[in-house]
Amino acid sequence: MNLFSFLFLTVSQSIWGLLIPVATTDFHSHSKDVTEYMLSTTDTLPKTQELQEVVVIDQAEMIRREESNAIELVKQDFIRENRGGSLMKSLERVPGVNLIGIGSGASKPLIRGLGFNQVLVVENGIKHEGQQWGADHGLEVDQYAADQIVIVKGPASFKYGSDAIAGAIDIREKLAPSEDGVGGSVEVGARSNNAWYGGSANLFARKGKWFAEGRLTLADYGDFKVPTDSVFVYDFGVALSDGHVRNSAGEEMDFSGRVGFLGDNFRNTLMISRVHTKSGFFANAHGLEPRQVDTELHDQSNRDILLPFQEVKHTKVINRASYAAGKNFIQMDLGYQRNDREEWSQYVNHGYMPAIFPSEFPYPSTLERAFDKEVFSLNLKDELFLDRHEISFGASGEYQHNDIGGWGFLIPAFQQYSVGFYGIEKFTVNQLWKVTAALRFDHSQIEVEAYQDWFPSVEDASQATAEDYLYRAEDFKRSFDSFVWSLGFNYSPGDLSFKGNVGTSFRMPIAKELAANGVNYHYFRYERGNADLDPERSLQVDLGVDLSKEKWLVSFSPFVNYFSNYIYLNPTAELDILYGAGNQVFNYTQAEVFRYGAELSVMHQLTDQWSIELLGEYVYSEQMSGDKEGFTLPFSPPPSGILNATYKPIGGAVFENPYFAVDFRVTERQNNIVPPEKVTPGYQLVHLRAGSSISVLGQAIQTDLQIQNLFNTRYLNHTSFYRLINLPEAGRNISLSLSYQF
Amino acid sequence: MKKITSFLCLSFLLFSCGEDENPIDLEYPEIVVTENSFPLQCSVLQRGSTVEFKALFADNVELGGFSLDIHHNFDHHTHSTEVSDCNEDPVKAPVNPWLLIQTYTIPEGMTEYEGAAEIEVPEDIDPGDYHFLIRVTDQEGWQTLHGLSIKIE
Repeated sequence: MNLFSFLFLTVSQSIWGLLIPVATTDFHSHSKDVTEYMLSTTDTLPKTQELQEVVVIDQAEMIRREESNAIELVKQDFIRENRGGSLMKSLERVPGVNLIGIGSGASKPLIRGLGFNQVLVVENGIKHEGQQWGADHGLEVDQYAADQIVIVKGPASFKYGSDAIAGAIDIREKLAPSEDGVGGSVEVGARSNNAWYGGSANLFARKGKWFAEGRLTLADYGDFKVPTDSVFVYDFGVALSDGHVRNSAGEEMDFSGRVGFLGDNFRNTLMISRVHTKSGFFANAHGLEPRQVDTELHDQSNRDILLPFQEVKHTKVINRASYAAGKNFIQMDLGYQRNDREEWSQYVNHGYMPAIFPSEFPYPSTLERAFDKEVFSLNLKDELFLDRHEISFGASGEYQHNDIGGWGFLIPAFQQYSVGFYGIEKFTVNQLWKVTAALRFDHSQIEVEAYQDWFPSVEDASQATAEDYLYRAEDFKRSFDSFVWSLGFNYSPGDLSFKGNVGTSFRMPIAKELAANGVNYHYFRYERGNADLDPERSLQVDLGVDLSKEKWLVSFSPFVNYFSNYIYLNPTAELDILYGAGNQVFNYTQAEVFRYGAELSVMHQLTDQWSIELLGEYVYSEQMSGDKEGFTLPFSPPPSGILNATYKPIGGAVFENPYFAVDFRVTERQNNIVPPEKVTPGYQLVHLRAGSSISVLGQAIQTDLQIQNLFNTRYLNHTSFYRLINLPEAGRNISLSLSYQF
Repeated sequence: MKKITSFLCLSFLLFSCGEDENPIDLEYPEIVVTENSFPLQCSVLQRGSTVEFKALFADNVELGGFSLDIHHNFDHHTHSTEVSDCNEDPVKAPVNPWLLIQTYTIPEGMTEYEGAAEIEVPEDIDPGDYHFLIRVTDQEGWQTLHGLSIKIE
């Protein structure tokens, strides 16, 4: 269920009448952090459901009316009802949000067509580091632990720093339990397409000012199924066994825990989490070229994870301390995280690599690449609430240490640090007008380590000299300074509300863009970085119009965006021989880019039981300079829309709050492509959702059923990782989940 | 369906879903088979001999470069660009298979180019079924692959 429908259906006219004055007078002058802080004593317990709904509505509406950026707030209910194999898959329905899917269990976010390092992910106040390296790296987040998600669709560097140039996904855990006692929840589910089963359980307890919580999430899935017998991986025909995408099975085990102290002024929460995933790559589409796959071995079982596969362990320790006194709210986040990723694949020699893997090498012959990232972060902020001013100052610092391993080479090891300082002023001019201004300064430095080949580049290895061991990366240091600003307004005259924001944003180039120099085995291409790249800069104008009147909820948010130097991977005419095994060379380069687009959302309550909804998104991008002038950007999502009808009959004693929803999704053809992309045909899909809280022996069990891709339509998703090899998306998928709270 | 799509387009007010008029190059370079082309599908190469590769490349704007890749097909993997009907030998394990990867430049400003290269077939390699892959790029970065099945005796 969408946020709007949630708002609409849970709030009667009379509550709206009561609520808005409350929101604009009392709560309006506080930041959402303080609101959460204040409200945490009344949230989360089922017994306080009614009050909670009022709180939720208040908060969502308040965020929309208070922030001048284009912003969406997604609650756990929405995630539960739309749950997919990964967090971003569950959020795909939000207009302006797309994803790069990597198989069935991993994905990375795209906001208005931009992704990778241009979208920043924050989990519990700390920037999530790890998902950015390549298109095959998903977001290592436990979607069951995410309670609410704020999606900023547009530049947010002033608040979050580098990487938030295209948007931010701010994931927050549940608030602390409000009353003394012990409670918990269990959610289990199954999905038909990839024979997925899994679930999550959590336990929490509160005594006086102390609370503790723990969560365990497990999932196991087989190869996903596509509605086709064979695919052509570039030039190579690949037969699929019963439509199974060979070796795309995976498993996940996550746990998290937190302990907190909730004082009257001082609060402290320590959080520890670990996400561990192991997932296979489509066996026929990895290597120098798609061949020599033992299909018999792979097809013996649809659940085994054979080579090639990736394994990721992401560990986080975050401590959040806050102090509220008088008009001040001070918060300090300290974070440590480690992203340990290994890509396993059979050794394939190319160029001058020895035909037989040397036994004295410190890695096993199947460890193609390893990345080990450690990040230390510190965020400090002070918020001041003075009459009509809400002023916040903050500082942040981050240090990263990155090591590499394995026989393959793409990105060298590197160290980087960054510091930033910002100030944000929110000024309430009067009941109707609010103005926001922000300034931020950042300094960052990256130090790339040299990398020397472990094999000599000569015909006869026994005659090799020291010079024959080539350097693939030279050591170098770059530093970047950046100054960004943002200016916005909110104008809320009754039913209508308007917002606007103009601001700059930046992103410092990452190690991959500066220093990549090797074969990308997923795409059979040679990627080469450019050490002279400048930080990406962007200027964006955002507008927003919201209408909430009687039985209508309408939201329209257009934007215009200009990049003076967008960094992208440019396919050239060159073919490499030394390291690339004859593959095409792709260079990181930068160009001016102009983009515009909009999202639309219209919700209409037909009767007490029936409602309809229309969601749409459109984005246009064009490169204004450089080799690909006139072309779009890679991974540009085509225009798409969802037409939804929802029926919510009056529940009975057994079935409480039942719902039935049908989504008709129309995605246009994507003609706007850039090499090496292919034109992607349009498609229509139908998804069904139904659910209810079912009372069994006096206990309420929330049951949700989804049928995705009802007609088993064969279609290609333009932004999918496997689009370039023409792999269709998953076929029909029936998904059932049961959840119980105690 | 059309109606719904048009409705979605209309609903974006300022932003059209209409045709894009940009004169960008979306055409892939071509590998044209002529009577001079060598090798052809099912051609037979002799070990220890020197053969002349020949193929005609064409592009609507400007050609980039080309590369040749010869690798064994003892495992009978398939290519989409040619039908494999060359009486393949039985599947076998490689001992000393031939691998050749070579890249070549195409002079600037060409929309048509006769690619040629001398290839020495080594004496001591495994005979059998091989694939002969030709890759050609254009200046925009589009790449075309052409795969041939050949036999080495």
